[in-house]
Amino acid sequence: MMHLVTGGSGSGKSAYAEEQILKSPEKKRIYIATMLPFGEEGRQRVERHRRMRKDKGFETVECYTGLSDLRLQEDCAVLLECVSNLTANEMYQEEGAGEDTFQAVTQGIRSLNRQAGTLVVVTNEVFSDGICYDHSTMKYMETLGKINQYLAGEADQVTEVVYGIPLSLKKGDV
Amino acid sequence: MKLVTGGAFQGKLGWVKREYHLQEGWIDGETCKMEEIWNCGGIFRFHEYIKRALEMGMLIREEEGDEFVRKLYERNPRLVIVTNELGYGIVPVEPFDRLYRERTGRICTGLAALSKEVVRVVCGIGIKLKEAEEEEHD
Repeated sequence: MMHLVTGGSGSGKSAYAEEQILKSPEKKRIYIATMLPFGEEGRQRVERHRRMRKDKGFETVECYTGLSDLRLQEDCAVLLECVSNLTANEMYQEEGAGEDTFQAVTQGIRSLNRQAGTLVVVTNEVFSDGICYDHSTMKYMETLGKINQYLAGEADQVTEVVYGIPLSLKKGDV
Repeated sequence: MKLVTGGAFQGKLGWVKREYHLQEGWIDGETCKMEEIWNCGGIFRFHEYIKRALEMGMLIREEEGDEFVRKLYERNPRLVIVTNELGYGIVPVEPFDRLYRERTGRICTGLAALSKEVVRVVCGIGIKLKEAEEEEHD
């Protein structure tokens, strides 16, 4: 079961995604962290998310690129956060997939979906500030947009979170 | 408390004035006195209010934002808040812009949880994201 959770920055999507994992039947919970902690602010953000998961029984696995190679024990509840970081890592990091970012990210998530009992994937809406960025950033936005569309197609359930309120964009079988 | 959000230039204030029959008692988050928020009927450009507070060195820490949310609900529980929905773009380069976006999002998430009604206005049309179970009599 794959649930895609999207929303803007500071929308409460992380907290919502975590709740979905806590509600899932699997006992074993894995958090896949994808954010390379750049500088003090990055470290603080990572720290904030770690604090939120503390005592909730999550095992944290760090994966910045090459998600397809990740092997998990069967029937876990997996929280992947987030696709926007993973995409940036694959595009811009030396060891990343570069031109093949779309394939790397979507295959990586499909591989997770095969291994996990419940998979919750967090992505990000970065498309609506109306600003025309440099070529590289526009390419990033285009790639992330395509990845989001693909994932929404694959997912059983898609939810947008607005200020902590979940809006269902695609409903799962009840 | 009611929270109305949406992108810039979507007709949020017009919608809210019509829908809630609230023509008077508004303050503008960009120009009001900071203390006016505690007893006004409605505030528009609430995001600008937060930006000004941050520029004055307030609400910098997350806990200060949470405290502000609690205090606002306690002191002005019938407030109508109109705010731009931020955070649907690329992460800004400037640290202040990131803080502004982040803090506005978290404060609005807190206020949304306390609000009876949360509405998103797109093209002048209000979509209720959260609705009061029983009608409030003004």
